[in-house]
Amino acid sequence: MQNRLLPYWLLVPAFVIVLATTIYPVAYSFITSFRAWDLTESRRPQGFVGLDNYFYAATESAFLNSLWVTFIFVVTSVILTVVLAMALALLLRRKGPMHTFTRIVLILPFAMSPALIGVSYRFMFNPEFGVLANGIGAIFPALQGVPWLADPDLAMAILVLTDVWHWTPYMTFMCLGGLASIPRETEEAARIDGASNLRIVFGIILPQMRGVILVMAVLKTIFALKMFDQVVTLTGGGPGTSTETLAYFIFNVGFRWFDMGYASALAWILTAIMMFISIWYVRMLLSERKMATA
Amino acid sequence: MKLLTSAIAIAASLYGAQAFAWEATEGRPFEGQTVQVLAVKSSQFEAHEARLAEFEEATGIDVVYDYVPFPNMKEALTTEMVAGGDYDVVSVMDQWVVSLQMLLTPIGEEMEAQGTDLSDFPAAHMRHGMLDGELIGLPVRGHVQLLFYRTDLLEAAGVAPPETWEEMVTVAQAVQDSSDAAGIVLPYGKLSGQNMMVWMNLLWGNGGDLFDADGNPIFNSPEGAAATETYIGYLTDEIVPAGSAVFVEQDAVNSFKQGNSAMLPVWWWVRSQLTDPEQSTLTADQVGFTALPYVDGADRTTFTNTWIFGVTEESDVKGAATEFLGWLTDPALERDVLLDPELDEVVAVHMSNLTDPEVNERWGGMHQAAADALATAEGIDFGDNWPRVSEILETAISSLASGEQTDVQAVLDQAAEDIVAIR
Repeated sequence: MQNRLLPYWLLVPAFVIVLATTIYPVAYSFITSFRAWDLTESRRPQGFVGLDNYFYAATESAFLNSLWVTFIFVVTSVILTVVLAMALALLLRRKGPMHTFTRIVLILPFAMSPALIGVSYRFMFNPEFGVLANGIGAIFPALQGVPWLADPDLAMAILVLTDVWHWTPYMTFMCLGGLASIPRETEEAARIDGASNLRIVFGIILPQMRGVILVMAVLKTIFALKMFDQVVTLTGGGPGTSTETLAYFIFNVGFRWFDMGYASALAWILTAIMMFISIWYVRMLLSERKMATA
Repeated sequence: MKLLTSAIAIAASLYGAQAFAWEATEGRPFEGQTVQVLAVKSSQFEAHEARLAEFEEATGIDVVYDYVPFPNMKEALTTEMVAGGDYDVVSVMDQWVVSLQMLLTPIGEEMEAQGTDLSDFPAAHMRHGMLDGELIGLPVRGHVQLLFYRTDLLEAAGVAPPETWEEMVTVAQAVQDSSDAAGIVLPYGKLSGQNMMVWMNLLWGNGGDLFDADGNPIFNSPEGAAATETYIGYLTDEIVPAGSAVFVEQDAVNSFKQGNSAMLPVWWWVRSQLTDPEQSTLTADQVGFTALPYVDGADRTTFTNTWIFGVTEESDVKGAATEFLGWLTDPALERDVLLDPELDEVVAVHMSNLTDPEVNERWGGMHQAAADALATAEGIDFGDNWPRVSEILETAISSLASGEQTDVQAVLDQAAEDIVAIR
């Protein structure tokens, strides 16, 4: 009897930890999303308001703007990161004298804190003393003194740039892992048959990398949806609201405006979007496997 | 050497402490208790902490300071308000007082028993320690705006420091004609409402205000639109550095410190940074100051910033905490810090110190200028929606400054509409 129960008892500590650190906060925030909770009035959640917080979100221009900003950011950063990572991986696939050194250098951007990246880029694009702003100005005199972060479109472009710079190395390593699993024989056979490099990449390598690219795209999408640190330290959501992502907007609602009920509802909207993408991703993976085994 | 310097500093602080007017409660009723203080990181508060020995010896109370950098301070206070129980005394910025009101407990009777003279605090600072007619905190750190300028650049351009905002444009253009520096540097970027701090002076100077007596937005009035057009106009007149559209206060200060701008309207506490050889390219001879310009024909104005110290609702040692507040808000402590030759601290919130001849002699009349500005300072009533209101207004100014939006009246009308729609 004792032996039969022992495995369950051994699981209890892990279950308690998961319950306390994950399930309880998630459930609490879900319940809070249906309640009014103005932190300036009460330390504890107030009355239930049904779907009011969700309905309010649907009509609030600031929230709708943050959704649009997040959409633009996610689409551009995911596409650029995946394309660049794939290109870099193809370049790094062949072993040369600088092989190890290049790989070590490549991982450095991913090791940096996103908040630090934001601060660094803010300085580097300062038109008065920024090294990048002045470097670009030296190469292209017409761009000297351009206030990069003061223009809504350029600010978004730089925000995307910092994210792509941060994530491309990690994605490149994922691609290298995927490329290593492709049998060399197919490629060599194509080469003997006279196929060009481009043909080999698009006709042989990329189709076999489909699964890896899908994983990369989904992972990157989920992380891009949560973009927060660089927004805080690089643009502050500005100019205007041009770089105010959904995660940053939720932070403002909760911790600056103290509307915890509404912030919880917004957080669950973001969670729902991410869950939808994750479910879609799992279904895609499962259908791929079915096709592979058919 | 370091030990000797520290010993001299401690001896000097103890000597200065003897002159304090504050007196410990007889019988040391709170002996053995510990007061935990949560303060924003500031050299002024560190100077107070360095002088704690006399207080602790007189009362038997231990005081422990924890510092949090400004960008994280509100989150730290929010956590304390919701989770509670870690701190007995907290520093709270004026704009946060109403939204963090559950954190603080009334201290009127206790401070009266301590003999604290509330009339020595300027009204513009003191108002932030009152909530619904009750005293919930006392000002310890307070700022007014001053106009810092490059004496050498203005002299080379043959112009005097401006008295009015209209003169400021002329002076800025004259400096730009005779040097490579921008005429003036202003923050238009988004961060904690910093881009509103000069704009508010223009708004008041034009006869406008944020809200009417019933709390309805009126900043979109013709006066408000005129003030906003003037403020944004400094960008289009190109008397500010390129990139100002996203400059926050620290960017503006850096621009001045690096010699890229000739004038800087900013809080007076920044003065010590401007001539610090480790941070700035400027020397003391190159930096002058004057009162903030005013709109021609209007009263002199200044935006103010106040940090109050209050006792937390959850504190278990409220008696010891208010005793500590009595010592902390003693004008003699403030004066001691102001006159300490080892320190470079200008911040004062007591009228007796702001008008003190010895203090003014040391700081070149800066404190009298501050006292004059405070005499007519309008101040703002920061309601519990202020964080949202501030965000809407700073976003409106940022949108106009970046060119994302160009119609001033439409942007202000939209901001007013958004504020009315706040739940």
